Amino acid sequence: MTDSSPDAGQNAPKLDTTVPHSARVWNYWLGGKDHYPADRMVGDQVMAMFPDITRLARADRAFLGRAVRYLAGEAGIRQFLDIGTGLPTANNTHEVAQAIAPDSRIVYVDNDPLVLVHARALLTSTPEGACDYIDADLRETGKILARAAGTLDFTRPVALMMLGIVGQIPDSDHPEAVIGQLMSPMTSGSYLALSDGVNTSETFTEAVRHYNENSASTYHPRSPEQLAGFFAGLELVEPGVVELSRWRPDATPFPDAGEVPGMCGVGRKP
Amino acid sequence: MISDREERGDLTGPAPAFTRTFNAGTLTGARSGPTVLRIALGVQLRRLREASNLTTGQAAGAIRATHSKISRLERGRSAARPRDVADLLTLYGVTDQAEREKLLALTRAGSVRDWWQQYSDVLPRWFELYIGLERAASVIRTYELQFVHGLMQTEDYARAVILISNARAPAAELERRVALRMERQRLLTQPDAPELWAVLDEAALRRPPAGRDVMRAQLRHLLELTGLPNVTLQILPFHAGAHAAAGGPFTILRFPDPDLPDVVYLEQLNSALYLDEPEDVIDYVAVMDQLCVQAATGTASKDMLSALLSQT
Repeated sequence: MTDSSPDAGQNAPKLDTTVPHSARVWNYWLGGKDHYPADRMVGDQVMAMFPDITRLARADRAFLGRAVRYLAGEAGIRQFLDIGTGLPTANNTHEVAQAIAPDSRIVYVDNDPLVLVHARALLTSTPEGACDYIDADLRETGKILARAAGTLDFTRPVALMMLGIVGQIPDSDHPEAVIGQLMSPMTSGSYLALSDGVNTSETFTEAVRHYNENSASTYHPRSPEQLAGFFAGLELVEPGVVELSRWRPDATPFPDAGEVPGMCGVGRKP
Repeated sequence: MISDREERGDLTGPAPAFTRTFNAGTLTGARSGPTVLRIALGVQLRRLREASNLTTGQAAGAIRATHSKISRLERGRSAARPRDVADLLTLYGVTDQAEREKLLALTRAGSVRDWWQQYSDVLPRWFELYIGLERAASVIRTYELQFVHGLMQTEDYARAVILISNARAPAAELERRVALRMERQRLLTQPDAPELWAVLDEAALRRPPAGRDVMRAQLRHLLELTGLPNVTLQILPFHAGAHAAAGGPFTILRFPDPDLPDVVYLEQLNSALYLDEPEDVIDYVAVMDQLCVQAATGTASKDMLSALLSQT
C-alpha cells in the first residue's frame, strides 16, 4: 500500500457530524452503517419525497460492479482511476477488479477527510496489485493526474471511473472540460465509466432541491443528452448511455423493478 | 488494554441490551461464532417474551429456572439448552414448526464450545463475551493510550503488561493468560480475517511497560503486522495536540450482518461495559472517526515506527 498524502497531524480537519454529508447520506441509502443522525434525517426526508432513492443508490452501486467486471474482464484493463470513492461498502472497485486480476492497480480520489481515512484503512490492495488514495477535488485535474502517475502507468490503458460524481459540480465548473482534462493524458484503449442522476423525474428533482437546501454539498442532475455528451470523442460500448439497470444487466429471476432516474455508460478512447 | 486486567472472579458488567431484531437466517455465516449466535437467539427470545407480556420471572417458572437464567439467555451470556428453548417457544405461543426449527437450529449452533472456554480459569465472564464478539467482527476499530492493543502484542510485551495488573499471580497463571492472548491473535491471519483498524497514542510507544529489548521486538512486530492487508495502525502523535477521546481507550466492533448494530467495548478495572444502543454508539463512532482523521496515516505511522525503532 502506498499513500500520497502527507501526515495529518496538527492541521487535521474537524469532522462535523451535525451537518448532512453526501458520502454518509449515500451510505445510509445503500444500507451501510457509517452515518450520523443528521445524515439519516435528510436521507429520510429525501426518501419520503422520492422513495426510489435507495433503488437509485443501489442501481448505481450495481452498475459499478458490472462496469468494473467488464473492464477488468473483457476489456483487459488493469489500471483504474476512481474519482468520488465514497465510504467503503460491498464490492468496491479494487475488490471487483482484483477478484478478476489480482495485479490490478487502483487509485481512489476523494476530497472528504472521513472518506479518505476509511478508504486508507479498509480499501487495501492484494499483495500483487496496488491501491493509492489521493486527497483532491474532482476539479483539481492536474493534481489528480500528477499524483495518480505515482501508481498508474499512463502509457498503458486506464479506466477513469466517475460514478455519481459529476453531478456534484455545477455547469459553471464545466464538467465536460474536467472530464476532457482527465482523459487527455490517457492512451488509446483507455475507458471512461460514468453514471449520474438525471432530471427526467419531477419528484426526484424536487427531492434533490430539498437535499441541496439542507446539506453541506449540492447535487445537479442533468438531462440524458448532457450525460451522453460527457462521452464526446469516445466510442460507446454497447448498449450506449442507458438507464442504470439496463447496462449489461446480469440474468435475474426477479421481475424488473422498473427504471430509476439515473443513467450510465462506458466509452473507449479510440 | 483489552484485557490486561483479567482479574479473578466473575464480575459481570452491565449486559448488552441488544435492541434491534436480528435476522437469524443470515447469522450462520462462517465468521459468526457461537457468541453472536447466542446474542441473536437471546434477542429473539426477549422479543417473543415481551410480545407475550411475560416477565423474566414468569418465563423462568415455565422452564423451572431462575429469572437470572432467563436474563442470561436473553443477553446471549450462556448457551441455551434446546429443551429450554422449546419450552419457552411453547410458552410464547410460537407454534409454527418452521419458526420453531429456525430458533432451535440457532440454539444448537450457539452451544458449540468456544475455543477460549479451556481458559475459563483465567477468563472472567465480562471478558469472555468480548472474545466472542471480537471473533465475530468484520471490523475491529480500537483506540489505545497506554498499551499496544492485545491483538498486536508480542508474547514478551503481553507478559510484561499482564504482570503489571496481576503482580501476585502464580507464574503458571501468568503463562495461561499470555497463552490465551497469543491464541486470540490467530484471528488476524485466519482466512476471512477481520479488519483491525487501530489508533495508538504515541505515549504507548514512548512509555513502554518493559525493557528495551522487549520494546524493540514489539516495534518490529507492529511494523510486520502493518504489512498485513487487514491491519491498519495509525499513531496519534503528541503534536496532534488535544483530541476528542478524553474519555480513554475504547473498541468498536462491527459485524458483517447488516442487522447487527456496532458494539462499543469499554474496559474498566474489573468489569466492562458493552454499549449497543445506537445513540450511545454513535458518540463513540464520531470520536473514533475524528481520531482517525487527526492521527498520522498508516504510511506515515510506519515511518514513525521505523524512526522509533532506530532510537529505542
